[in-house]
Amino acid sequence: MTTVIRTEGLVKRFGRTRALDGLDLDVEAGTVHGFLGPNGAGKSTTIRILLGLARATEGTARIFDDEPWGWASALHRRIAYVPGDVSLWPNLTGGEAVDFFARLRGGTVDRAAYTERRARLMQEFQFDPRVKGRAYSKGNRQKVALIAAFATPADLYVLDEPTSGLDPLMEQVFRREVDRVRADGATVLLSSHILSEVEQLCDRVSIIRAGRTVESGSLGELRHLTRTSVSFATNGLDPAAISALPGAHDVAVDEARVRFTVDSDAVAALLPELGRLGVQGLTVEPPSLEELFLRHYGDELAATGAEEAPRA
Amino acid sequence: MNGFGALLRQRLRRDRWTLLWWILGTTALAAIVPGAIGSSYGTEAERAGLLQLTAQAPAILIFRGTPNGADEGAFSFFLIFAFLGLMAGLMNTFLAVRHTRAEEEEGRAEQVAATPAGRITPTIATVAHGVLADVVLALLVAAAFAGGGLPVSGALVTGAATAAVGIAFLGFGLVAAQLFRTSRAANALSVAAVLAAYVVRGIGDATGERSADGLHVTPGWASWLSPIGWAQLANAWNGDDWVALLLPLGFGLLLVLAVLGLQRVRDLGASLLPGRRGRASAGPVLASTLGLAWKLDVGVIVAWAVGGLFTGLLATSLTPLVDAIATDAPQVGDTLQGIAGADGTIEQALLTTFFTIGGLLAACCAAQIVIKARQEEARGTAELVLATPVGRVRWLAAFLAVAAIGAVLALAATFLGAVLGTASIDDPSQALRDSALAALGQVPAALVFVAIPALCFVLARQATIPLTWALLGLSGFLGVFGELLGLPDWTHDLSPFAHAPTPQGDDYDWSGGWWLLGVAAVGIAAALVLMRRRQVAGDG
Repeated sequence: MTTVIRTEGLVKRFGRTRALDGLDLDVEAGTVHGFLGPNGAGKSTTIRILLGLARATEGTARIFDDEPWGWASALHRRIAYVPGDVSLWPNLTGGEAVDFFARLRGGTVDRAAYTERRARLMQEFQFDPRVKGRAYSKGNRQKVALIAAFATPADLYVLDEPTSGLDPLMEQVFRREVDRVRADGATVLLSSHILSEVEQLCDRVSIIRAGRTVESGSLGELRHLTRTSVSFATNGLDPAAISALPGAHDVAVDEARVRFTVDSDAVAALLPELGRLGVQGLTVEPPSLEELFLRHYGDELAATGAEEAPRA
Repeated sequence: MNGFGALLRQRLRRDRWTLLWWILGTTALAAIVPGAIGSSYGTEAERAGLLQLTAQAPAILIFRGTPNGADEGAFSFFLIFAFLGLMAGLMNTFLAVRHTRAEEEEGRAEQVAATPAGRITPTIATVAHGVLADVVLALLVAAAFAGGGLPVSGALVTGAATAAVGIAFLGFGLVAAQLFRTSRAANALSVAAVLAAYVVRGIGDATGERSADGLHVTPGWASWLSPIGWAQLANAWNGDDWVALLLPLGFGLLLVLAVLGLQRVRDLGASLLPGRRGRASAGPVLASTLGLAWKLDVGVIVAWAVGGLFTGLLATSLTPLVDAIATDAPQVGDTLQGIAGADGTIEQALLTTFFTIGGLLAACCAAQIVIKARQEEARGTAELVLATPVGRVRWLAAFLAVAAIGAVLALAATFLGAVLGTASIDDPSQALRDSALAALGQVPAALVFVAIPALCFVLARQATIPLTWALLGLSGFLGVFGELLGLPDWTHDLSPFAHAPTPQGDDYDWSGGWWLLGVAAVGIAAALVLMRRRQVAGDG
């Protein structure tokens, strides 16, 4: 597999603050790569460097084996970009803006094909192209960028929180479009903090925190690092027998159910033991992305909670 | 009225700087008049001479007022009142739209209307806010004139007349805000109305009936169509006719009542005129960044070109004044001769002065277009364009190219105005030649103001807008007034406009033009080269 995006030790300083602090990111061709992190973690800064809009203070960034700052406009022939907060020209309509971006990206060379793609996207996104930019709502401005991105084929789609402001129906349309371009062999970098979206769409995920990559891999690989939750009906089972189950952590027993967590790679060893106990109403839940995410940020939540407490 | 006090306080707090500048600026305009009259038109005879002179070229009254006597007070009112009315009108329409339609457009009005304040109280608070601002303006303007040694009663009438124009346009601004969906459209209509009121009043003055001594004019019927014209009927320092002020005040009150009535039946956020729908797909122009820059700026170019057209019109249509000046106002003649230089004629001096103003307008046009690039960057639309296969240098170059085109078109419009202005001259060949050369000569000076904002944008993006206008203002001031005010030569020489080639007699020296073109070319090239290394900021 070839690598489409590779950054090594990316550092970006704004005055004294370090927005990026040695960020590493690898995105393989043909994959949808989730780029996760809370606000301010450095997702948008990374994307701006990848697009050649900002220059890294240190480290290297390469897209299609080219350096984005120097080769921005050549690279952009192969890239579609959707920002998280779209601004439009107040006196141009949404339809004009879509056409303008398509022309800049050379997407209108095949007029008939472009017109067909544009019409299909406008219908699916239920978009009114005749309204002036200043009159669109947040969600409609977002649609302009999404339609412009998907109306011209690209090799790489850089999507920075693309669904902010969209309703759930439109999110569905968006997911279909991502699936479509993946099927066509394109690569997608999807920055998001909507975890269900990432879980559903992404092949691989990088989690960043304070300008660094803290976790990277397929969802399966990441899940190995955390615990699976297990629960079953109490049914008068002997508490001692439950405590003796191999690999069980944080056991909690109440009148109705027994709950505990187990290391994800120890689940197979546990199942025969559960069978011997004859448990009923068994549920085994793999860790959600949310749990993965909270594992990395949980301490930060606790820390900010502690900081804010005296003020309140 | 629930929340009235809170709403009024919020408005005063929000506008404290904006209104301070408007009010102080207008007051300053009033404050310089008594002193200026003392130095330029110290004696009654000189003032009478100038008033009689306007009989030769009534067009000049468009920029002044109704002549109504040569004593110092009445002469001050003649010189400045229409400007004061213009300023008060603009201040009030902007204020009205800012606190009504702009709030609705941004959705903030909805939050306010959801409180016990409701839909109507915010408008009443806006009216109170505007009236309060006008009262302060009236008192300061009156103080400025009284402080300059003019009789207090006339000063109070002038202040009150200024405020009355303000209140008339406060009502107009509120009506405009009811009509349109966007604050931009409401502001555009209001500004057009204020400018129209100014010009219509001018036409009334220019077509008015002159008294036998030439010192008084009874305005023509056109003045009756303009709130500024009504307020002018107060004739400060010459009759102090307070009753005339009931006209603009009544007009304002009527419009406010109409607005309150409309708001009872109108949905919040809705407008009387439907929002215009635009094109569903882009036209052929919008195919490159050059096309984008053109489409974004064509309105700017038209506006400055109209200004240029009027400037050009004056440059040649005032020529008949020149003979009269030489005999009736030798001082003015000497000053003009100074501008013309030893070889130039006084006609050329007059023409050059107006074309320098035309050059200044063209420079403003160019600067405003380059500044658009900065605004695109701050808004975030630049980022969207630069994420397509458009390089930073090409993107900036598109704005610079449109700026240069805009400057040239503005000067072409100035020349066109001058051609139209020669209609009243028997043999226009000399005036046409001089106009063409003077217009051509201003092009290099205006192009320098493509380079200056471009360099500001590349080197000091945060400061682009204030720095550009400050440099442009300084250049205009030194270039146009430096010589008139007797400032040292080297300060005058700092301004590009001081080096623009001008026709002098039969001579026309282009060496200054080459220098200016060189400076502009080097500056633009440097800005483009530096742009290769500049990052594009996502936010302010």
